[in-house]
Amino acid sequence: MTDDPTGRTTRRTVLAGGVSMLGAGCLGSGGGGDGDEDGGSGDTPTLADHPVGGDLDDQPRLGPDPGTAAGTIVAFEDPSCPRCAAFEAQTVPKIRSELVDPGDASYVVRTAPLVYAWGEPAIHALEATHARDADAFWALLAHYFDEQDALDTGNVLDRTETFLRGETAVDGAAVVADAESGASGAAVRTDVDAAEAADVSGTPTVFLFRDGEYRTRVTGSVSFELVRQSLGL
Amino acid sequence: MISLPTRAADWRLMGRTARLVLGGPAYAAVAVVAAAVALTGFVLSQNLPFTADALAGRVPAGILLELYPFVGTSYGPATGAVLLLVSLLVGVDIALVAYHVREHRLSAEGSGGSLVGVLLGTLGAGCAACGSAILAGVLSLFGATGLVTLLPLDGLEFALLALVALVLSIHWLADGMRGGEIRGCPVDLQR
Repeated sequence: MTDDPTGRTTRRTVLAGGVSMLGAGCLGSGGGGDGDEDGGSGDTPTLADHPVGGDLDDQPRLGPDPGTAAGTIVAFEDPSCPRCAAFEAQTVPKIRSELVDPGDASYVVRTAPLVYAWGEPAIHALEATHARDADAFWALLAHYFDEQDALDTGNVLDRTETFLRGETAVDGAAVVADAESGASGAAVRTDVDAAEAADVSGTPTVFLFRDGEYRTRVTGSVSFELVRQSLGL
Repeated sequence: MISLPTRAADWRLMGRTARLVLGGPAYAAVAVVAAAVALTGFVLSQNLPFTADALAGRVPAGILLELYPFVGTSYGPATGAVLLLVSLLVGVDIALVAYHVREHRLSAEGSGGSLVGVLLGTLGAGCAACGSAILAGVLSLFGATGLVTLLPLDGLEFALLALVALVLSIHWLADGMRGGEIRGCPVDLQR
């Protein structure tokens, strides 16, 4: 695996391999994750020792610091994933207004290039943007979801630069240069490693922690009520 | 030669057969239960860890309902509608198979489509997420993990194929009952 975006096939292949193994596991054992790392009936992992809980301070997040509020929501998303767009449109606004804004939960986004090829350079651009301006990250992520149908591998970075230049204070050309050179590869790799370690096979996949302890995980554009009730908030 | 429902009479026969079989309360109950089980299987198979946590009491079991089409937000209107239709057809199909085997003392020939329909319906339910584990797992068996990204409907194609398989199954079952009677009524009025 490489951090260079030009090596996207390699990284995607590795991640897809994990996906395939999980899929076979689902069919064979009715599992979906090995259970131990997510708690199961044994010791409940904490946010600190769960695979998705590493490096959270460096991740895009909204609300209180992860682990300090009653609830912590860690969502793996791919900007090219249509169901992630539905999740962002239908569920995330309520998470923000009803859980994050009152201080009851923190919301963390991690990225996983699982769906269309243009998602990977987009993720590199997102990481490069986040390194410069957290607010611009959220704006760019929303832009990707809004414009999914118009984006492909040939235009995603050009459109990224245009958007950042027009709508944010971030240097769009510098972001694109970082995305193309692989300068943001370490941040991308961190999320990919977390996704693989947690057997994330589809997006969005949402991990829910209550009072610092793992509560459950759920995949798909699930409803706000499911998130809220799972957290007991 | 494989019989396909190409004539209007074939569709009328399917409808009449289904109506006569489901007119019996026991078989109607079988259809309802089978449809509910199929839909539950479709939606919960996409989230086995969450289902296990709900059943273990880690999260309220009632919120499993939020995974169902038109209750939660996991499925868009088109996917949700197709999944419901597939589930209903599974119910009808299973009821016809049960009637065919039990009342006519015949084999379950023609019911293979129901199994195919259930499998394809499960794959179609993967539309709730991008890169569904089950869909990816099945496609990986054929070395085609990335195939789903080439599907214009993002995997809904499988649920539509499930509809085709189930319609064919119902057609073959109805065809197999042609000439017989259901609760005293001739299945095929044209004979």
